[in-house]
Amino acid sequence: MARYPVWDPFVRLFHWSLVGLFATNMLVIDPDTPLHAYLGYATLILIALRLIWGLIGRGYARFSRFPLSRAALEQQLNDIACSRRAAHAGHSPLGSLMVLNFLFSILALGISGYLALPSATAGLSWAEELHEALVAWLQFSIVLHIAAVFLESRRTGVALIRAMVTGIKDIPRYRARE
Amino acid sequence: MRDPSKPLVLILLIAAQSFCAVVFVGDVIADLFGTAEQEAEGGHAYVEALATLALIAAIVVEVRILLWLLRRKAHLEQALDTAQRAVQEVIDAELDDWQLTPAERDVAGFLIKGLNTGDIAQMRGSAEGTVKAQLNAIYRKSGCANRAELMSNLIDTLMGQRSGPDAAPLDQD
Repeated sequence: MARYPVWDPFVRLFHWSLVGLFATNMLVIDPDTPLHAYLGYATLILIALRLIWGLIGRGYARFSRFPLSRAALEQQLNDIACSRRAAHAGHSPLGSLMVLNFLFSILALGISGYLALPSATAGLSWAEELHEALVAWLQFSIVLHIAAVFLESRRTGVALIRAMVTGIKDIPRYRARE
Repeated sequence: MRDPSKPLVLILLIAAQSFCAVVFVGDVIADLFGTAEQEAEGGHAYVEALATLALIAAIVVEVRILLWLLRRKAHLEQALDTAQRAVQEVIDAELDDWQLTPAERDVAGFLIKGLNTGDIAQMRGSAEGTVKAQLNAIYRKSGCANRAELMSNLIDTLMGQRSGPDAAPLDQD
């Protein structure tokens, strides 16, 4: 068993802050209140910090470390289809796609939300439509993300949720890809 | 010979339908359990729930087809020319007959390509003990005692001596 320190403190703090902010704003706060907008701004700042960290950070947080080649994606799909147990130390290829999906969808969510504010603009109706469509897309993405985390934890035998809390993946040596 | 069911097409279709399913499920939950602001919905909500269930069932079937396609593609992709593909297809038909699990089917593919237990374990990210157990399952299901017997059975099938599932039924016993 090898211990891979994969997620730095910023990445972990970012992940769970985003979960908290998004869940609160979607489920608890009335969308017509100013608080909804403030939490939206906070989320946008969080996303901006993560984008910067993806460029200047170290280790697996960097976007350049995301294994997004076509070959890597096909490899992971084959591994899943053939019940192979190989695991990735950092982001898996499909996991990287989901990270980018979340970053840019939430960025668009925040911007469309700002444009739909009556105080900021005239309250653009298309921005509100887009804002609601993005919420539906993000709900779908969250369901997919959670399902994928459970299925991939089971396939690879790596406790992925624990890794996002402690930052460390315990992977048997023979199981690590790359 | 061209296969209309490309994995990428299927993946996009599954993604689109899953997105719809999540939206519909949210709608159904709101209709059936939400505060009854739209009382007129009534029986219509059950029809919607049924349609959503049918959609989810279709997605499950599509995912299974996708995994099957990906497995087949994974096993075919090393075989490049037509002759290799033809050989591979006879072997596939024989392996399908043994009713292996996807993992065992993958191990069998590596076994036939001549990899030893250690190499197979590395390719699959498994412990060697796991691969040994899977090899034993393959030998048991194929009715062969060891790798040599399994290989000679496959070669017999390729030469048309044994009736594989796809071969002409000349000498069924």
